[in-house]
Amino acid sequence: MIGPLLKGMYTTLKYALKPPVTIQYPEVKRPVRYRFKGRHELKRYDNGLEKCIGCSLCAAACPADAIFVEAAENTDEERYSPGERYAKTYEINMLRCIFCGFCEDACPTQAIVLEHNYELSFYDRASAIYTKDMLIVDVPINGRPTPQKVEPGSFDRAIPVMEDPK
Amino acid sequence: MSDLVTITIDGVEVNVPKGTLVVDAAKRIGNDIPVFCYHPKMTPVGMCRMCLVEIGLPVRDRATGELLRNPDGTPQINFGRNLQTACTVQVSPGMVVRTNTPFVREGREAIIEFILSSHPLDCPICDKGGECPLQNLTMAHGKGDTRMEFTDKMKLAKHVPLGELIYLDRERCIQCGRCVRFQDEVVDDPVLQFHNRGRSLEIVTMSDPGFDSYWSGNTTDICPVGALTTADFRFGARPWELTPVATLSPHGPAGSNMTFSTRIEAAAGGRTVIKRIMPRQHELVNEIWISDRDRFVHHFADAPERLTQPLLRKNGSLIPVSWDEALEFVAQKLKGFDGTAVAGLSGDRMSNEDFFLFQKLIRQGLKSNHIDLANGRLAGGDVVAQVGVVNDTTYDLPQRLGVGDAVLVVACDLHEEEPVWWLRARQAAKRGATLVTLNARPTRLDREAAFAIHYAPGTAVETIRRLLNAAKVEVEQSDDPIVAAAQALVKANNLTIFYGAEGITYEESDAIARLLGNLLLVKNGGSGHVGRVNNGLIPVWPHNNTQGAWDMGIHPAFEPGYKPVKTPGRNATAVYAGVANGEIRALYLMGADPVGDGLMDGRGQLKLLVVQELFLTQTAALADVVLPAQSWAEREGTFTSGERRVQRYYPAITPVGECRPDWQILAQMGERLGLGKAPFAASLVFRDLAKVVKPYKGMDYRSLAQVAKQWPDVGGEDLYYGGTAYENRSGLGQQWPITPPKEPFAVPDVEVPVPQGLTLMRIAALYTPGTLNRHTKLLAARLAQPTLLLHPQDAYALALQDGEPVTVAVNSGNVQATLRISEDAPVGLALIRAIPYQPGTAVAHITRVAEFASS
Amino acid sequence: MTHILLRHRDIPGIHKLDVYRAHGGYQALQKALSEHTPDEVIQIVRDSSLRGRGGAGFPTGVKWSFIPKAPGDKYVIINTDESETGTFKDRELCEYNPHQVIEGALIAAYAIGAKTVYNYFRGEYMDAAHAFEEALQEAYAAGLIGQNILGSGFSVDFYCHYGAGAYICGEETALIKSLEGELGQPWSKPPFPAIEGLYGKPTVVNNTETLANVPPIIINGADWYKSMGTPQSPGPKIVCMSGHVEKPGNYEVEMGVTYRQLIEMAGGMRGGKKFKALLPSGGSGPVITEKALDAPLTYEGLTPFGSVMGSASVIVMDETVDMVWAAQKMTHFFKHESCGKCTPCREGTFWMEKVLHRIYEGHGSQKDVDTLQSVAQQIKGKTLCALGEFAVSPVLSTLAHFPQEYRAKLAK
Repeated sequence: MIGPLLKGMYTTLKYALKPPVTIQYPEVKRPVRYRFKGRHELKRYDNGLEKCIGCSLCAAACPADAIFVEAAENTDEERYSPGERYAKTYEINMLRCIFCGFCEDACPTQAIVLEHNYELSFYDRASAIYTKDMLIVDVPINGRPTPQKVEPGSFDRAIPVMEDPK
Repeated sequence: MSDLVTITIDGVEVNVPKGTLVVDAAKRIGNDIPVFCYHPKMTPVGMCRMCLVEIGLPVRDRATGELLRNPDGTPQINFGRNLQTACTVQVSPGMVVRTNTPFVREGREAIIEFILSSHPLDCPICDKGGECPLQNLTMAHGKGDTRMEFTDKMKLAKHVPLGELIYLDRERCIQCGRCVRFQDEVVDDPVLQFHNRGRSLEIVTMSDPGFDSYWSGNTTDICPVGALTTADFRFGARPWELTPVATLSPHGPAGSNMTFSTRIEAAAGGRTVIKRIMPRQHELVNEIWISDRDRFVHHFADAPERLTQPLLRKNGSLIPVSWDEALEFVAQKLKGFDGTAVAGLSGDRMSNEDFFLFQKLIRQGLKSNHIDLANGRLAGGDVVAQVGVVNDTTYDLPQRLGVGDAVLVVACDLHEEEPVWWLRARQAAKRGATLVTLNARPTRLDREAAFAIHYAPGTAVETIRRLLNAAKVEVEQSDDPIVAAAQALVKANNLTIFYGAEGITYEESDAIARLLGNLLLVKNGGSGHVGRVNNGLIPVWPHNNTQGAWDMGIHPAFEPGYKPVKTPGRNATAVYAGVANGEIRALYLMGADPVGDGLMDGRGQLKLLVVQELFLTQTAALADVVLPAQSWAEREGTFTSGERRVQRYYPAITPVGECRPDWQILAQMGERLGLGKAPFAASLVFRDLAKVVKPYKGMDYRSLAQVAKQWPDVGGEDLYYGGTAYENRSGLGQQWPITPPKEPFAVPDVEVPVPQGLTLMRIAALYTPGTLNRHTKLLAARLAQPTLLLHPQDAYALALQDGEPVTVAVNSGNVQATLRISEDAPVGLALIRAIPYQPGTAVAHITRVAEFASS
Repeated sequence: MTHILLRHRDIPGIHKLDVYRAHGGYQALQKALSEHTPDEVIQIVRDSSLRGRGGAGFPTGVKWSFIPKAPGDKYVIINTDESETGTFKDRELCEYNPHQVIEGALIAAYAIGAKTVYNYFRGEYMDAAHAFEEALQEAYAAGLIGQNILGSGFSVDFYCHYGAGAYICGEETALIKSLEGELGQPWSKPPFPAIEGLYGKPTVVNNTETLANVPPIIINGADWYKSMGTPQSPGPKIVCMSGHVEKPGNYEVEMGVTYRQLIEMAGGMRGGKKFKALLPSGGSGPVITEKALDAPLTYEGLTPFGSVMGSASVIVMDETVDMVWAAQKMTHFFKHESCGKCTPCREGTFWMEKVLHRIYEGHGSQKDVDTLQSVAQQIKGKTLCALGEFAVSPVLSTLAHFPQEYRAKLAK
């Protein structure tokens, strides 16, 4: 009778002295692997211009049809991205997304990147749709927010540097 | 047939007519020889060099001309040292073509590599990406690799507006010259040219305003890269995201076949919207060309000004109400009127289904014969039913007018009224047909005309009567152009006649239609010009479905199918008079704005005015009830072209607000007036009308949707060959048969007041500001402004200067117009454009604008 | 020797009509008009085996015989758009012996039944064109041009046209387009100018020097003409000697002399330097080396050495010349002069120049040399007109004869 009881207490004592294996989520968050595919982010160049050129290739590549893009034309008065085209509307339906990363592969400017945020839960379907405002990263320290007024002719290439087009 | 030539392409024998190019012959057997500069609708130039193939000819003995044979009996074939362009070489007997040898493949790889060496490869942002011949041919024939150093690449301007409609990207341009040649060769607006040379060769526009042509949009279809894009669709969507929906032109009477590209847009609140309009191939109607009006004027369908709810006048103002309330109100009110006091007037843009139910509502529901088109300009629908043009029934290189044939164009400016028909008349003349134009003034078609006859204002009927009389007798030679033209017309193998209503009254147009009908009937030794392919009369109706309105009996004297009415009702003019004097107490208007057009002076003494419309027009603003209708993009239906071709169009976009299709409103109204259960689909209305309207017998939505393989195959998926025009998968329509008359038409005598002194005549302009054109902001700068054209002599007599603002008295009141001194106006005839239609001619009252005179 | 073409060197003042007539001028025209039918004139020229002096060497009489006999508008065009590098023979003819050219053109017009003759001048040839126009006016005044020439009932109008300085307009179809007022771009033949040329009418386009050969042939007969030169390439030829020779200039020779003799005629190599290479036909012919110097100056003479006589504009290069530099210069010329109509020539010349420039500047690699060779091969045989073929010849021939010079330039 006493034997099993002691055994139980021994086990409790043994683990009480070991460091805990659980973490105190959400106060404490476990780091993810470097290549973890979490929520998407739309990146910017160092000067603040958006990398996304609104080409919709991510939407075309998406096997779950989760991405919706509407493009519009840049002007030097109101420039969002280099080149002529930018994404006026950019939406990802996180309920549809399967985090396969095809959008990342399809992107010609490395604008969309699956980052490490995995905290995606919603109270209703509509809030599962992440708009461009929610997806785009903050303006870098030395950059300016978009739209920018720029010198005419300074950003006339959509894919700014393409040394090796292969 | 004796003029067939047999050649062998990659071991496959093909029989093609003499003169066929190798590239077209290969297409027949599904061998796609890649091309960039060649287009089947234009003469070949062989400049892109993409179509290089090995072409061999049988070797003949020089002395005897005998074929030399190999030991095994096969003819010896001599392949040249170099590759040859398949697009410039015509087939010849015994020719052998190889398209899949290492030599050819290497040639194709080389050309693709050369083209890409200066191409920016910005496919991700290019509007053509996804439907780009260069992309496709690179995937099919390219090396998949380049040796061009990126830094060696050419940097050129990427944003060059050629006018406000079309943008050019100089980097993407591969200098194939399709656009330059299209503008010059096909549509005779040589406003694009090559400039400079070598690698600096570039496209420039030579006109002011830039790219001044009614056909500019077509260059974006045939551009094999994304160098030319329309401002309307620029960066609008990617081609693979678009849903194609077949439709028809809502403007002109030719019934141009078009395709909407639609998609759901977040910006439009999740509605399906029109992103662009593209041509749809129909070799007998518009081939693959559509005018810029057809392409760009679609924004009215999504205009924010559209009516969205039924409106009912309560306490003097129009209040939104439910459909039930509005319909019930109208039905109850209408029941209270006697048939003689009720009238129904319709616009001519509605579908056949709408027209059929409209006349049923007025005739059977309200027991009234007062039914007409609100703004009837051109008469002769009954004549057309007997001597109308007959189309070819084959779509494989259909028979077209050419050498030995004739085209007569009477009292219209086809270039401004229906550009597609202008193109057809011009091309017939270019192929060798005798073109005769008959008008009070010179028109653009005169350039190609063998006889351009200009009659004095008011003498149109008389002139055509002279023409008819001259055609009846055989004359060898004559100095009188009318006699000479008449002889040419009557002797032609095939004769197609276009007639319009420029500068003539409705009554005159009726007489003219009959006279022209009689001209077609003149045999004079030949077989006459009625009932044979490419022979007959084509009325240049003012709108897309005026023909359908006539067929469906929107006419005081005709029931559907041209059955005469026992006691004809009032025509539109008499209805407006009745409205003014109180004889007409209730008026039902569908898609018409007589107040805005200056035809009806306010509400007059009407007790009830019902308007069924897209917009709150001037008339609608005066109405008791306004019923919001769906535009053509939101619903389905059928239009009948001026060539009596009944064609279907399909619903494309989400309906605006609570709008209902016209036929549905009319059917639901009819149900309340005891006309039986409302049909629930347009196809059922069509089924009903096909039972009643004799010429439409046997047609239904299924038969109208039938398609056939068309040649040249320019509408297919293989974008490289014909461009991005869509294949016709949704219906070629059916032409209803004519009933040739047993004897010549009786021609009524028409009293025409011939104005004395300087005469005023309204002429057409394609971009006349109107209900539909006005909503396309893109065209705002090109909308025609009221302009008065005066001959230098007349301007001198009136001491007026070019560019001066003047006030001109027209039917709808005084308009201010800019004066242009031009020899396009004959002496004594002042031409005014871009004002609402007014029939016939009038004495010109021109006054100088006071401010100008004092300054 | 007595000059047949460059007669002004023997007879001063022959550009004046009276001097020219005093020395037998316009007698050939007189003879043709009074003694021969047009068909006989064509036959005489055919029998003489006169070949086009512009470079292609097409038999002139045969060219004329292609013109349809049916009445209607026909044209003769004199091609004085002499833009080949190192060519200056037509200029001298038009400037100092213009009446012989005019007379030849009139005979050609008579032979084919043309009522109009155009002389298409290179834009830069203002002086020559002015001298030529003066001669024209003299001839007009003397009734040698215009209505009813020499009482024969034959009438011709003669116009001069100035090009805008495009090499490609020396190509006959581009010349015709330019004359019509359009962009000077060649078209893909057929239709041949003989059937559908200027304004869609039958047209003969002949080189200036070719036409200057016609009057002596008419006067002296075909057999006299064939007694000069070789059987395949008879007659006299003006050779434009330039480059590293002591006495550059035009030399009229009988066909068949060797290139070595030509260099000697021009006073030998300048400064006694060693011969390295020569361009037999300006930029458009492949370079030849020492080995080919004993080849005869005929249309076929250089075939074994992979080159052509062309318009016989011989550019001599001595040992100091860097062949990569020369190839780059030539390629720059062709890139600049490509009309841009067909893809391989437009893109290929642009690309070749970029690569050559890189090699010449010393930044090239073996890969660049390979690319250059392959791009040149890729252009060859795929272009719409001959310019593309010409454009690759300096590159391919220097690569073949002087590969070591390319290798020496590669980046270390």
